[in-house]
Amino acid sequence: MSLIIDVQHVTKNYGDKIALSNVEFSLEKGAPVALVGPNGAGKTTLFSLLCGYMQPSSGCINVLGHAPGNSALFGRLSALPQDAQLDPRFSIATQLNFYARLQGMSNKLAKKDTARVLDMVGLIDAANSQPSELSHGMRKRATIAQALLGSPEIVMLDEATAGLDPANAKEVRAIVAEQAGEVNFILSSHDLSELERLCDQVLYLENGQLKQHKTLNIEGDSRFITLRMKQDFPQIIPTILQLQGVSHVSMTQDREYLLTITNHPGSENVEMDLLLLLQKNSWSYAQFINGKTLENQLF
Amino acid sequence: MNINLSRLSNIITFEIVRLFKTKRGLLALLAFATIWFIILYYFISTAADIVSSRSFERMAYDLFGALGLSALLDWPVSEYAIYWLVAVYFFPIFALSVCSDQICSDKQRGTLRFITLRSTRAELILGRYLGQLLIVTILILMTSIATAVLASIRDLALLPASLQIGAKLCFELFIVVMPFIALMSLLNTLVNSARLAIVAAMLFFGLGPLIIAVIKHQFGQEFYLNLLFPGGQISSILSQNSVVVSHYALPVIQAVVLLVASNLIMKRASI
Repeated sequence: MSLIIDVQHVTKNYGDKIALSNVEFSLEKGAPVALVGPNGAGKTTLFSLLCGYMQPSSGCINVLGHAPGNSALFGRLSALPQDAQLDPRFSIATQLNFYARLQGMSNKLAKKDTARVLDMVGLIDAANSQPSELSHGMRKRATIAQALLGSPEIVMLDEATAGLDPANAKEVRAIVAEQAGEVNFILSSHDLSELERLCDQVLYLENGQLKQHKTLNIEGDSRFITLRMKQDFPQIIPTILQLQGVSHVSMTQDREYLLTITNHPGSENVEMDLLLLLQKNSWSYAQFINGKTLENQLF
Repeated sequence: MNINLSRLSNIITFEIVRLFKTKRGLLALLAFATIWFIILYYFISTAADIVSSRSFERMAYDLFGALGLSALLDWPVSEYAIYWLVAVYFFPIFALSVCSDQICSDKQRGTLRFITLRSTRAELILGRYLGQLLIVTILILMTSIATAVLASIRDLALLPASLQIGAKLCFELFIVVMPFIALMSLLNTLVNSARLAIVAAMLFFGLGPLIIAVIKHQFGQEFYLNLLFPGGQISSILSQNSVVVSHYALPVIQAVVLLVASNLIMKRASI
């Protein structure tokens, strides 16, 4: 596995305000990484530092072996910065074509690649439209398209699905999932279920500090099952606790239960036993999740 | 300074596209053409007739002589004498206005974030500057050609002389506008809107000399701070009496200094 991002003791201050404090992590090539945290936690600042939009107050950042903003990263690192918009005076194809040529493509190749990425985000018919003629969702997809130009090794998407309708958000998730084999995505979003579906690793920022850096659902000798029920069943916790292998059951939210399964002989069939138990008692479930939800892991 | 010529030429080309292929650019061109039609038709043409007419010859010599501009009357094409007097003041002011948005709105909108993932900040500053310089140069050439056409309509025999003087004046105007556009590059790195950049330029030219006078009075010493102001050589080149290297060197050095300062500020700026 090769290191793609290495962040060492990075601090960023805006005047007296500390946006990031001594953040330290490294990411290897692989599945998408989620950047999570409440508003004002420093996610966008971290994105901006990784993209070279600003300099850290102290510390060191290395992206694909280079400092952020280095010309060696052009075409290798791309991003969808939060709230960044395309120029309203030019058609989206003209702008994407310009960006592609800046990345070193010939005019012919740039046009071809522009058509490819616009097709990926479902905007090929709107190629000659100006951003002002497009809906918010279409504008967002156009900015996602610019991040996919060429063959970037790292793509950072800051709140890529924010403001998109469910169908468009699903489309964006499908693009990420489809490209995840070749591209290293770093995604920030407030939609934890979205990150859960796409990402294997999570960076959790809070008050400018990196609180957790973990790979999802790997926690020692135990494993987890999350069960969401359609209704409240008062006897469900003591009944499930009687199953072999289930060491603990807690109610995480209304009608949601987290089962801790201890890995020892006899616990392999716990899923089947649980389903049979639900069937026997006529308890209908809404979701059966292998592992903890991201929400339960972080909060 | 990391400059890639291919990326630089792409940025310059895109600036030209911005002028000739966007509605706003075409409207600006139309406004420019209208202003210059009025200047050429109602001002330069009429004034050239007056200057070159026998009845006003004496008065014109007295007037131009009093202003130290009598050399202009020796030019075979009098239209260019008037053109020069208008253009040498018009184009610097025009450049301040037309080049007021080199990176401001891109910075405000976040578009700069897309661009800086693909080009260095130095390329962006230099590319946008050269793009604007090229646009203003094209416009200077167009007005100069229009003046040559105007003179040729009066007398076709003036065409060769017109082209010669026109080319020389285009070069002079090119040098004159260089630091003005560079000043707007610098102001664009400091403020967030084109309007603010123009206001800052007005304050620079309006309050700058006052501040210099105060500094001189305070310290009783000349710091040559007036060299910082673009256009300082205009009064010297107005008469076109002689060619002095410093008349060309000063604006070129000013442009270079302003661009280096823009690059240094931009390099450290958060976008």
